[in-house]
Amino acid sequence: MSFSLLFKDELKGFYKSKVMIFLWAGLPLLTVLLHLLTPDTGEDIPFTMLSALLVSSIGGTLASAMLAVSIIHEKTVHVYDLFLIRPIKRWNLIISKFLAVYVCITIASILALILGIIIDYFVSGVTSEVILHGALESIVVSLSMMAIASAAGIVIGVISPSVLVGVILVIYGGNQISIIPMIPSIANMPNSVVFTIILGATITGVLLSIAIILFNKKQF
Amino acid sequence: MIKKKVKVESLGTSGKVTFEKDEGSRSQKNMVVLKELTKRYKQLLALDNVSIEIKEGEIFGYIGPNGAGKTTTIKIMVDLIKKTSGETFIDGYPMPEQKEEVHKLIGYLPQQVAFQQWRTVDQALTTFGKLSGVNPQEIERSIVELLDLLKLSDVRYKKIVELSGGMIQKLGFVQALLHKPKLLILDEPLSGLDPESRYQVKQILKDMSKQGTTVFFSSHILSDVQDIATKIGILNWGHIVTIGTMEELKEELIKENKVEIVLSKNSGKWTKLRSQSGIKKIKEIAPDKLLVHFESKDKSGEIIHQLIEGLLSNDCHIRSIIPVVPNLDEVYQQYLNGGGNT
Repeated sequence: MSFSLLFKDELKGFYKSKVMIFLWAGLPLLTVLLHLLTPDTGEDIPFTMLSALLVSSIGGTLASAMLAVSIIHEKTVHVYDLFLIRPIKRWNLIISKFLAVYVCITIASILALILGIIIDYFVSGVTSEVILHGALESIVVSLSMMAIASAAGIVIGVISPSVLVGVILVIYGGNQISIIPMIPSIANMPNSVVFTIILGATITGVLLSIAIILFNKKQF
Repeated sequence: MIKKKVKVESLGTSGKVTFEKDEGSRSQKNMVVLKELTKRYKQLLALDNVSIEIKEGEIFGYIGPNGAGKTTTIKIMVDLIKKTSGETFIDGYPMPEQKEEVHKLIGYLPQQVAFQQWRTVDQALTTFGKLSGVNPQEIERSIVELLDLLKLSDVRYKKIVELSGGMIQKLGFVQALLHKPKLLILDEPLSGLDPESRYQVKQILKDMSKQGTTVFFSSHILSDVQDIATKIGILNWGHIVTIGTMEELKEELIKENKVEIVLSKNSGKWTKLRSQSGIKKIKEIAPDKLLVHFESKDKSGEIIHQLIEGLLSNDCHIRSIIPVVPNLDEVYQQYLNGGGNT
């Protein structure tokens, strides 16, 4: 009950925030701009994949920064005090925040990627089956990267003493770790989609578990 | 220091410990029991063996200078920070072992109250009400009633970011009362409020206490503590200096009785009374006013009688005799300066 309530609340808070409005409109717009600026991506890299890389990189970084800054700020001004003295589990607070941002960023990314698929279809004229396979891989890689980036944002938010430290850690830590799910695709591994999902889910799970343990021990 | 013993009567299947008074005829339940609570931050000893007992329906005013450890005590009580050692029981439930049970029955106002800025007042209160397990109809009724009581009805649908500091403080108070808690734990609830709001909050606390709610509050405004607290605890450098009712604290301090005598005629011959037995000191503090210190508080009635006779026989006419009783500011200062029994 309290988890779903907090999740809905956080969703309401995030989807209307200025950063999310930028992402809702900005990511699809960025995809179109990318196409206009680099119309020829070569035969080896479909445009969908290129836009997925860009979207997940920017979206992931923004999600990570947004989560880290939000948690650091709420910790600093003692917003959590009023939640933690109520009969709820501490992990509900950070996981609901993670899910809310992840849902928002996923929708924004999928919109951007659909645009990429459409552009790919009209520009390259390849069969829909090839495009869909490429698109699926791109979406999986993109969502895995953003899940890891978001989870890293949660950990950074919990451990960072200030917004400045948090942002530095997001740029140099969260952003780097989120590229791990790309390894199966880059290495042309068989069943790369499955490996990407496993890698993404495992790293996200580990990061969130660390965040929960640290948050449970935190003194306010 | 005034201490009251408790004994552990039983440990039920719920893990709830029952405390009972050793002495006295009234069987009033202890709502808060802190036993030898200690908190250490590396080298700093923030709380040192703090023991407090508060009975159901009492209003406990917790006072002390900045950095004394008041907020630390409160945060340990609500499990926002961990104690180093000692025991905490709220309504018989040990903390933090049974914090979920305790969190259902407490209302808490932190010193720095803050809400998520994007929420409206209504959204914030509704969420807190739901998280406290109150049904939607009851939440709606409580929100309307409490916002009206604290004159916040006009801002119900405004965003938190648009509220003033005083409004946010009052909103913090509203969220603490929303679920009709058995125990209210308030850290500096009256700071930042205008006189009217302070009066309203004090009235609400008094009314709630009459209905059985226990209140534990810290404050720097001693006059407010004196107005509403039925029991007062003074904390200094992590130590409890004293605990008791206002009368008990004064009683402990008054080692010598003092009276102020207002004269309608002052012949100046009152100086002859300096040698009278039982009088420690007598001095003129204004042309028509004398301050008399007695040797002890025992037999003061008899000494006053002799004093009156002495003044009249020396051509000094008396308008009034007023016993000098310290207010909480004086009591507080004397305890902090080591004047009281510790």
